Amino acid sequence: MVQSAAMKQRLVFDQLSCRLQVDGLPDVSVGQSGTALGIITGWSLQWVGRPLLEGRREHLQALMQVVFPYARHLISGVRRDFSVAGEPVDIGPHAEGGHRLLLRSSQPDTPPLEMRLDDAELADLVRVLDQLRLDPRLQLPLAVPEPEPLGPRELLERIPLRRRLTAPLGGAAVLAVSAALVLLLPPPPQPPLAPPAAPASEATPAGSRP
Amino acid sequence: MDGAAGIIAVMAKDISDAAIQEPSSRALPRRGLERLDLMLLCMEALDLNGGEAMVWLSEQLGYGSLFPNRVELWKRRCHNPLRRTCRRGEVPASETDALIRILCVMADRLYPMLRSLLSSNEPEEVARERWALFQQRLGELVQERMNPRRSGVQKLLDPSDGAAQRLQLVRGLSLCAGHGGFDRIKASLMDAVA
Repeated sequence: MVQSAAMKQRLVFDQLSCRLQVDGLPDVSVGQSGTALGIITGWSLQWVGRPLLEGRREHLQALMQVVFPYARHLISGVRRDFSVAGEPVDIGPHAEGGHRLLLRSSQPDTPPLEMRLDDAELADLVRVLDQLRLDPRLQLPLAVPEPEPLGPRELLERIPLRRRLTAPLGGAAVLAVSAALVLLLPPPPQPPLAPPAAPASEATPAGSRP
Repeated sequence: MDGAAGIIAVMAKDISDAAIQEPSSRALPRRGLERLDLMLLCMEALDLNGGEAMVWLSEQLGYGSLFPNRVELWKRRCHNPLRRTCRRGEVPASETDALIRILCVMADRLYPMLRSLLSSNEPEEVARERWALFQQRLGELVQERMNPRRSGVQKLLDPSDGAAQRLQLVRGLSLCAGHGGFDRIKASLMDAVA
């Protein structure tokens, strides 16, 4: 027990609005020692004036898996919800501005916790997670999605649906009105019919027949 | 300044290590170059010595061979199609990567200012004054260097229409500050044209 306590490591990352604290141990089975952290035993995220968030490694990874893609999409101006099926963390734009972080507890009878973050708090959260991810003392793989360029379809989400539909619907309406107006125009007057010409057989002299 | 130089030196080593590991990548599209230059312009609007800081950072980060002087740095930024004197052609990926690294380190240095612009906890009057000052400085730089006949420039200069774009630029800078932001901002600058 004494040995275990001496090997215990704590990584702390501070920003103005939050502090991320990760506790763990070096994974001696793969030869880690000293200040390395190969096993996460717990973590906590402390916000100014908000409840303390705590969890296991899976929860930290779930937080990273939604926060990083959300931040990456925000840089391109795309605001949409991010969640991973079966994972306890969701993030997305808040209806009243800012960002909504939803955390579902694994404890029964505990309602989900919803937090509203402003842009500065979200940037702080991204920075502490970046600091953890890139810390050389953290020697365990945390699966984080690689940022990828967005395609035209995803970028279209930047434009609200109403504005996206305005141009094609407006064009279709103008086309329909134009077609209706064209149909209402009176047809042009028909030119008078020429008198029918005499049949050629009557005009031909009888003696000329073979 | 010694302390800052020490931090930059450590970052430079990390960055050069990262650069060695990076696979060869594609060059940025014109739209990406436009956004990159605008973000660098925002840094200059936030930091009165931003232009000098960029040259100094370029040397500190080991990009002296890519940008041996400020003119070379300026020539790369002139590939922004919104510039008054716009240059044609592609910028090699190594050079755009270097510009993005410089941007990320500058955003990291100026993060407190970016954060104060974005925070909703600041008094409203103070926040309004900060944004007004930023808008004024950015407007002066844009008028000086960009082509005023381009609709993108006119929109950026518009006090009301350009507000959302300025907020988007500052938000993007706050999310790409530091080492971890490089991949995010690079992926964003490589976005397809919508």
